Amino acid sequence: MSAGGKSAFQKIIKKFASIKMAVVIIALLSILTAIGTFVEAKYDATAARKLVFESLWMFAILGLLSASLIAVMVDRWPWKKHHSAFVCAHIGILALLLGSLITWMYGLDGSVRVGIGETNRFVTVPQTDIIVYTSFDGNQFTKIFEREVDFFREPPRDNPFVVPGDQVKIKIVDYKPYVLSQNKVIEETNPRWGSAVRFQVSNARVNVIEWLAQRSPTSLVTHDFGPAKIHLGSAPLVGLGQNEIYLFPFKDKKNQWKIKYSLFGKKSIDPEKEGIIEEGGSFPTGWMGLEVKVLRFYPMAREEWDVKVRETPTPLTTEAVQVDFSGKKQWLLLNDTMKVFSENAVYYVSYANRRVDMGFPIQLREFIVDRYEGTMRAAAYKSHVIVPEVGEVEISMNEPLYNKGLTVYQSSFQDGPDGRPIASVFSVNYDPGRWLKYLGSLVMVIGIILLFYFRKRMSAKKLTS
Amino acid sequence: MKALFILSFSFIFSTQVLALTLPDGEALRALPVQADGRIKPYDTFAREMLEIVYGKGSFEGRKPHEVILTWMLSPAAWENKELFEVRNHEVLKALNLNPERKRFKGQEVFANDRFTLLRQELQEKRETKEKLTPYFQALQRLENQYFVFTEMATGRLMKVMPVAESKNWKSVAELDGEAQKDFLEMSGKFITYIAAMAESKPANEVSEKARALDLAVKKFQETARSHNPAAYAENSKIETEIHYNLFHPFRWAYSLYILAACVILLLWVLKKDSWMKWAWMMVAAGFLLHTYGFALRVYLTGRPPVSNMYETVVWVAWGAVVFSAVLEFVYKFKIILLAGSLAGFIGMVIADTAPVILDPSLQPLEPVLRSNYWLIVHVMTITISYAAFLLAFILGDIGLIYYLRGEQAYKDKIKEIVLAIYRAKQIGVIFLAPGIILGGIWADYSWGRFWGWDPKETWALIALLGYIAVLHGRLIGWIKDFGMVVSGIMTFSLVVMAWYGVNFVLGAGLHSYGFGAGGVEYVSGFIAAHFLAIVYVVVVRRTRVKT
Repeated sequence: MSAGGKSAFQKIIKKFASIKMAVVIIALLSILTAIGTFVEAKYDATAARKLVFESLWMFAILGLLSASLIAVMVDRWPWKKHHSAFVCAHIGILALLLGSLITWMYGLDGSVRVGIGETNRFVTVPQTDIIVYTSFDGNQFTKIFEREVDFFREPPRDNPFVVPGDQVKIKIVDYKPYVLSQNKVIEETNPRWGSAVRFQVSNARVNVIEWLAQRSPTSLVTHDFGPAKIHLGSAPLVGLGQNEIYLFPFKDKKNQWKIKYSLFGKKSIDPEKEGIIEEGGSFPTGWMGLEVKVLRFYPMAREEWDVKVRETPTPLTTEAVQVDFSGKKQWLLLNDTMKVFSENAVYYVSYANRRVDMGFPIQLREFIVDRYEGTMRAAAYKSHVIVPEVGEVEISMNEPLYNKGLTVYQSSFQDGPDGRPIASVFSVNYDPGRWLKYLGSLVMVIGIILLFYFRKRMSAKKLTS
Repeated sequence: MKALFILSFSFIFSTQVLALTLPDGEALRALPVQADGRIKPYDTFAREMLEIVYGKGSFEGRKPHEVILTWMLSPAAWENKELFEVRNHEVLKALNLNPERKRFKGQEVFANDRFTLLRQELQEKRETKEKLTPYFQALQRLENQYFVFTEMATGRLMKVMPVAESKNWKSVAELDGEAQKDFLEMSGKFITYIAAMAESKPANEVSEKARALDLAVKKFQETARSHNPAAYAENSKIETEIHYNLFHPFRWAYSLYILAACVILLLWVLKKDSWMKWAWMMVAAGFLLHTYGFALRVYLTGRPPVSNMYETVVWVAWGAVVFSAVLEFVYKFKIILLAGSLAGFIGMVIADTAPVILDPSLQPLEPVLRSNYWLIVHVMTITISYAAFLLAFILGDIGLIYYLRGEQAYKDKIKEIVLAIYRAKQIGVIFLAPGIILGGIWADYSWGRFWGWDPKETWALIALLGYIAVLHGRLIGWIKDFGMVVSGIMTFSLVVMAWYGVNFVLGAGLHSYGFGAGGVEYVSGFIAAHFLAIVYVVVVRRTRVKT
């Protein structure tokens, strides 16, 4: 290295190694993170992450901080014994930052929801994808497009997101991070659409009015309101020993649309009651004085989301994208799919959080909530799960399951309509930077302790000399 | 004089401690009641209910345990009493009530047509699951007051008898058979006792009625216990809680702290250095009682008491006293102990006088906080660092006063203060940095992520960065003596934000179990006043330099 080069290098090192620089960087970091917390308070954690904590600004400041930490260590070379304190503290911080970077780049942090008695092997992660499937015969679907999108950072409003392909005229033209959705059912004439029914189930205490809309004439949709389930679609031959109502739309001999209803109960696997009704008709269920009424019936209908855009999120808001198909615009909510037709094909457009295979399934056998005496307040909750090669294990708050490099934590649970839990939510995590973060923390704390140790000795020396 | 002091102190102390056994007519206070997920003495239950409805610890001089039972026994008598506290002006306006008043009759509020409308409004707001604004929080309190009073009046709120088949105790309204008979008997005795007192009957007659009431309470307790002896309350815990309520060790602690502070001030003015040992003794006595109160809470809740704002304030005051005592012991500046006793006093008075904002009741824990070693460790470590920063803050205030009185004249004092502030900040950093890391370990252990930019952890980090910046600035000479005094005050605002602001102002993030509302105007006023004081002193210094 030439003498001039060395001095330029040293100049830069000196600049970065100055405490002035350090104080400026610390102040900038404080201000930026403080802004982040206000963003989180006004919007939510995702917004704070995308706008502040994982923004270019943040990386720039942390980069400067690392440069300054390294520069100080280079500047003080060769180190003396009393330098060990700040060297430890600085190496510790660098290790912490590096560990966090590794976690951010290669880690996995998602959630898995498993219903009681059900099995799930997929983790839902925050990344979102646009996926398009197509079918020419209506039965066989092939994936024709898949790409990761981040509409929060790159809104499609001015720069529409176009799904490639000559035939496929699908564009994403708008994105809203916080919308409240209401479903709206519109009558159609194309027989490729399924049916829709607006029903009412009521007795003295219960009054449920809802829409049920099939995606296709052969699909089954369900509304669960606690004491019973109501389905739209064809009834099975045998019941499951639960209170269930099946509404099956069909054309009678005179080519008139009618609904056949079948009631299954707890006593028998055969239907308790069967019959035929039309729009406006009703029938008693025989359970708890509940009566079912068909308020509206569209033999062919399309379900659409009507969205109300909000400035700020609430626990009920979700994300939505506006899909433009051949000039027709429709809103599509996150984790939902939309069906569109061209002249000779059907397309399914999905905007969803990515689901990653964990490599093993989790079966939820039992979910237990302990409550504080005399209240509904949860004191603790735990899941009994069955995992192949591991067997039956209990996952509870602070007692995660470690399997195949992943850690499965008890995160929360979902209550059903009757107030009893129906599903357990786990958070699943793979953290390759963990050891580095722990090591960094340890080294840093040692550094801080040494710092005060040497400071004390130095001041003692000063006093004696 | 010394003997006199010890004598008088031990006399007051012992009379209070011996009050462990309840006087005649008050056995009722120890009656076990199931509420909020635990068994508590009726005394505590009554205090909490009166606090919710009336916002005070007593009603027209009458104790909560006398008041609450009469809501049930003669609700009609309460119709014309101004019992319900409503403070929010918007709510008062919405109810068409006089905003000059604070307390209202039940019918003024709840018989009001607008109350029904407001409840609907609140319900609609709840369904949107949005954050409740102060207006809706006030409405929520109003609804809760209504609920507490009506449920108490109908006897459904007070659960007094365990049952064999369930964990839910039976309420007064659900009692039957012998238990019902015994409860009625007890109520009758209660009424005659209260009436005898109100009519100022002769002492022997009153005490006879009192003893009859106590006997009836005992009888009901025996009947209740017989239904499920295992589920009934342990006597020792009930008695300890009564003792905690009656003795109120924290009040003794802060009284002693302020006395100590006064002694130190006096010994300066009168130049009696020998009095310092009195100050030490008072701080020590206050500290012992402070610790004792803490120990009682640990025993009653079965967990270290750092899980809500109230408990952390008490803990921080405790830590400030400890740190000041240690530093005072090393440096013997006197001023450090003064700052420590002031910190203890201020902290405890705030904790004691704002029950609506800082809830002093013993509450069960959220699931994520239960039986967790790392949780306790990280919260205690982080909050104890706030104690050191609080000490630096108060020392900063005292330093500011000296700067105002004359920098040259009090040069030595200022040097002492600056050194003490420096040490306090160092102690704080030594606890805060590992505390934040321990928090990361806890988060990793229970949620699976070490750092998630949660507002609580972020603000703790910002506070740490603030103090680290100050200490580095001191190292290179950017920050001189005046800067240390000023930064002692200013950097503390970061701690206030991390400690109070995140929960009460931002109200976001995963630490939501500590969220609360209220007091924002006082806290921000407090901070603003200090910043103005700093500006004032800076200006005064500038003009002095010029002239």
